[in-house]
Amino acid sequence: MAKLFDFEAVLSQLPEILKYLPTTLILAVSSMIIALIIGMLLALIKTKNIPLLKQIAGVYISLIRGTPVIVQLYIAYFGIPMITKYIYQQNGWNYQSSTTSGFVYAIIALSINESAYIAEIFRGALASVNVGQIEAASAIGMTYFQTFCRIIFPEMLSVALPGLGNSFIGLIKGTSLAFVCAVVEMTAQGKIIGGRTYRYFEVYVSLAIIYWVITFVIEQGIRLIEKKMQIPDQVAKVEISEDERGV
Amino acid sequence: MLEIKNLSKSFHENKVLDHINLKIEKGDVVGIIGPSGTGKSTLLRCINQLEIPEEGEAVFGGKTVDLSKKHKDSLEFRKSTGMVFQRFYLFEKKTALENVMEGLMVVQKKSKADAKAIALKELERVGMASWANHYPKHLSGGQQQRVAIARALALKPELLLLDEPTSALDPELVGEVLETIKNVAAEGHTMLLVSHEMNFVRHVANKVIFLDGGHVVEYGTPKEVFTNPQNERTKEFLRKMQLLNEPEYVI
Repeated sequence: MAKLFDFEAVLSQLPEILKYLPTTLILAVSSMIIALIIGMLLALIKTKNIPLLKQIAGVYISLIRGTPVIVQLYIAYFGIPMITKYIYQQNGWNYQSSTTSGFVYAIIALSINESAYIAEIFRGALASVNVGQIEAASAIGMTYFQTFCRIIFPEMLSVALPGLGNSFIGLIKGTSLAFVCAVVEMTAQGKIIGGRTYRYFEVYVSLAIIYWVITFVIEQGIRLIEKKMQIPDQVAKVEISEDERGV
Repeated sequence: MLEIKNLSKSFHENKVLDHINLKIEKGDVVGIIGPSGTGKSTLLRCINQLEIPEEGEAVFGGKTVDLSKKHKDSLEFRKSTGMVFQRFYLFEKKTALENVMEGLMVVQKKSKADAKAIALKELERVGMASWANHYPKHLSGGQQQRVAIARALALKPELLLLDEPTSALDPELVGEVLETIKNVAAEGHTMLLVSHEMNFVRHVANKVIFLDGGHVVEYGTPKEVFTNPQNERTKEFLRKMQLLNEPEYVI
């Protein structure tokens, strides 16, 4: 009689699933980078109260946060080709279908989804930066761009970091839905293995282990960065040599 | 050196500054005194455009700058002024040394080594050199303010604006900051000083402005303003101040 639970299979199929770990990571990291940029822009638009753009940002964030990722993935996968096809037809160009891989659509959908959440994290972090320091930087004669890069951003980052870590972990798990865009990443590969062996349960246990390990590593990484960014509690006074004092 | 013309600023209905005219010569230390809410701080903040007034212009170094809007010259004008805030506003993520180096490197585009040398010298001048690697949160209020003064002076501003530099300090820390400012004033810097320390203003300033209701009510040497005020409001204000300094009873 076949075993009820094949623990060996859980371990033995790990390498086969891990072959797709790079796909998962590339999906997550590239989506995260794009999301960080869009999120930062959205947060700045909202904080600086730029008319019109601010309303657009509000609708965008509300819309994206109000719909499930899987729906967004489907919309990106089917919708974007439809739009391009329409544009091509309007201009009388020759349209060749399926030239873009599903990977691109998955990144588009995931980064757009993530950007809405990151925008809110950044907005909160921006609000936490003491206005006085920004004034002090202006009084020195720094431009807003300089102030942003050198004063505001480093400070908001330490506030935003825990939230960003959370977001990134969510995103890693979000990539498991990318199969709807015909992307074979770890979860999709697991389903393929399951289809072959009918050991679906074991596959999902393997996947759970892998995702948990990845998340654990990220958590530790973030903790390390947070520690690095913290201002030390105590610093020793320095002895400065005579020539350094310029006496 | 600096002339302020027709400076007006309102917050909603409240007119804080009403057509202020002001002339400062090079090397002047101008003390601005007056009751709370009369626009002393606003006057300073309008001069370097942290606050944008409705109207007003500054004649500075032969150039006329319209203060009521931001434009190309705004940044240049701002670079020639330095500001010390009531609440210090040091960059929290930077050490005392980095705080002073920041403007030298970013605004004046000096090399890191040059900036460090200048910054150390400035910190030395305010007696903070041995705290160079400390972050603001490690420093007392008085120490933070001294670093803030070094940060402003490092850029060699032609005009130094001090906005109640001792108001946020514990009484026993006020002395060290006043001492620092006194030394700076003695070096011949042109300064505009808003302060509630009447005795200090009296000793360090060579001109005193009494501001009330958005107007310059009294303008003269400390001796004129403090010992022989002409305006009724000034007299009343000084009387109240005097009252605070007098003993409650004498045996």
